[in-house]
Amino acid sequence: MTGNRRALNTAALAMVMLVAGACSMSTSETASGPGTARASMADASGNDWTTYHGSYQSWHYSPLTQINTDNVKKLRVAWVHHPGRSTRGLQSMPLVQDGVLYYTGSYSRVWALDAATGTPLWSYFPKLDDDLVAAQTHSPYTRGIALGHGKVFVGTVDGRLIAIDMKTGQPAWDTKLVDSKKLTVGFTGAPLLVKDKVVIGSQGGEWPGRGPIFGVDAASGRKVWEFLTVAGTEEAKKTWGGESWKTGGGGGWMAGGYDPETNTVWWGTGNPAPLYDWAGTEWKTTGPRPGDNLYTTSVIALDPDTGKLKFYHQELPHDAWDFDSAVGEFVMLDRDGRKLVVHPNKGGHVFVYDRKDASVVNVWQLAKNINFVKGIDPKTGALIGRRDLPLGKHSNLCPAIAGGMSWNSGAYSPKTGLYYKIGQEWCMDLEVIKTTPVLEPQAQLDIGANFTLRNPEGGKAHGHLSGRDPVTGAKKWEVMYPEPPLASLLATGGNLVFVPDPRGMLRAYNAETGQELWSHNNGIGHNGGIISYSAKGKQYIAVATGWGSLVGDEFGALFGEPYKSMPKDAGALVVFTLE
Amino acid sequence: MVRVVILALAVALAAAVASAQDPAQPAQSAATPGPDDALNGEQIFGTSCGFCHQAGGRVAGRGPKLAGTERSDEFLLNRIRVGKEGAMPAYGRAFTEPQLKALVAYIRSLKDDAR
Repeated sequence: MTGNRRALNTAALAMVMLVAGACSMSTSETASGPGTARASMADASGNDWTTYHGSYQSWHYSPLTQINTDNVKKLRVAWVHHPGRSTRGLQSMPLVQDGVLYYTGSYSRVWALDAATGTPLWSYFPKLDDDLVAAQTHSPYTRGIALGHGKVFVGTVDGRLIAIDMKTGQPAWDTKLVDSKKLTVGFTGAPLLVKDKVVIGSQGGEWPGRGPIFGVDAASGRKVWEFLTVAGTEEAKKTWGGESWKTGGGGGWMAGGYDPETNTVWWGTGNPAPLYDWAGTEWKTTGPRPGDNLYTTSVIALDPDTGKLKFYHQELPHDAWDFDSAVGEFVMLDRDGRKLVVHPNKGGHVFVYDRKDASVVNVWQLAKNINFVKGIDPKTGALIGRRDLPLGKHSNLCPAIAGGMSWNSGAYSPKTGLYYKIGQEWCMDLEVIKTTPVLEPQAQLDIGANFTLRNPEGGKAHGHLSGRDPVTGAKKWEVMYPEPPLASLLATGGNLVFVPDPRGMLRAYNAETGQELWSHNNGIGHNGGIISYSAKGKQYIAVATGWGSLVGDEFGALFGEPYKSMPKDAGALVVFTLE
Repeated sequence: MVRVVILALAVALAAAVASAQDPAQPAQSAATPGPDDALNGEQIFGTSCGFCHQAGGRVAGRGPKLAGTERSDEFLLNRIRVGKEGAMPAYGRAFTEPQLKALVAYIRSLKDDAR
């Protein structure tokens, strides 16, 4: 159901014209140019990868064709970089601009390397609050950085946003945004540069705070706006019974997308706390958080200049299963003259929205094992036959808490017209219990159930990669995996889809047919990003390696080896090129 | 009525936590641990530990199976206090010594027969 619609006012119209003017600048602009123009134009030459999702359209696509289906067999390692101390593996998306590759390791350690040779140019290791980090669960990783205005922007798990000079590696500013000592959480997501602002969303979900998203001035580091994903407007507060909004969770812990035509930031929000609701079907009037719980598990559209909400769609009203909308990408594409946004929800459905107001155009199912709802109405997005779980034991809830899809991104190829995405098949048994949010001396997890992951009834837990029509969901091809890959995907103009798999193999497939064409053993599982770029006339594929995300933690018990023995403190950036 | 109970529990828990001995913390008003509910190891476990120690600690999940563990009390207490880098958070500031002991008692009470 959509919220408020706001007509473009004169100021916003002026902004759009300014952005449109910037977008028409040539590709030879310098590194100090406005972030907006660079990100929108990343698709044009493909030499760079200047924003987390590849471009504001979130395609995770490189137009480069030097590496293609005919020669990918000749792909070999060009260089490797070890950032050190890769606790929970490398989970980040590298970025490249003008022949320099920037990326983060664990603990928000930022590296700048020569993109052709891997030679380190500088590194910056922020000093973190180690005692706080030790008390965190979803830590010490960061999913990446933003570039612009001559700076590298990175968030930290102790609640700061830091700007580092791109050339010198010296910190320019360091702004504390979240009282992480109190809330226990901070930032794990990559920031998004939008014009003169850096947008970043905090963690939330099972951590009982209010999940703020911030807009920070890129030049000075001054906080300009803050949007609370939990009850951030008067309308939203009414959807939380009693005082439950104070400990609602939410958050916007992955980088969203940006529509320069309408000056709209699209962001996904996290689930509410506690995750599971002992009130069962009586959730509208009783239980720990009665009501729809806006704006958790929603896609929201914000004005990047003011942080005001333009419109939204709540993918799962009163989410009782931890199926965030904070995951994944906001793929922007046009179909039959209509501008759309395609967004995966953790529960296993893909939502297709009208880009002007998030009205639902279609909803299609990617994961097969889903029973938390019977379905979702493709015309309205309404949940059909929701499975609410009251106090007590329940078996075979699907998908499991790890979701039908996870936080890493799929990819879209404008050449094939296909959306490539990993689906996860697993379920769980649980016992829903009553909990009370613990806030002193610092916030603790508020789960609401004891659970055990398991195979789906009559089947085995596994994963799949499919090439789909992004709007209808029609499947063109599918590849099965014994365990779900957890890393991001990459599609390229050379008609390739790259999948970094959980056992350690980086695989390349024919984007049209799904035929596997090449693979290479990186020696440890993958749970981070992958990009392609060009340096000194050669095309490179750079992939983050390393294992140990919270979803990956489930693999040892569920699947056995190689996961039981897989290190969780290792990971390197591995970069490939043609021999 | 439920809200009063919840509020009382929260206050008791806060008071119990405030009385934790920790030289690094600023001085806090002296408070004794609350009644039995603040020392309910099973409840503390269900709120904070079940995220990783599945089925109430009876099976391996994100964290190892705790039922029937061969680790000593000393090891368990230390692990809960200090955590393990990249694997388990440190709860030394979150729980009092009596609460930590209640957690260990709960772990010891788990029967090692769950599948």
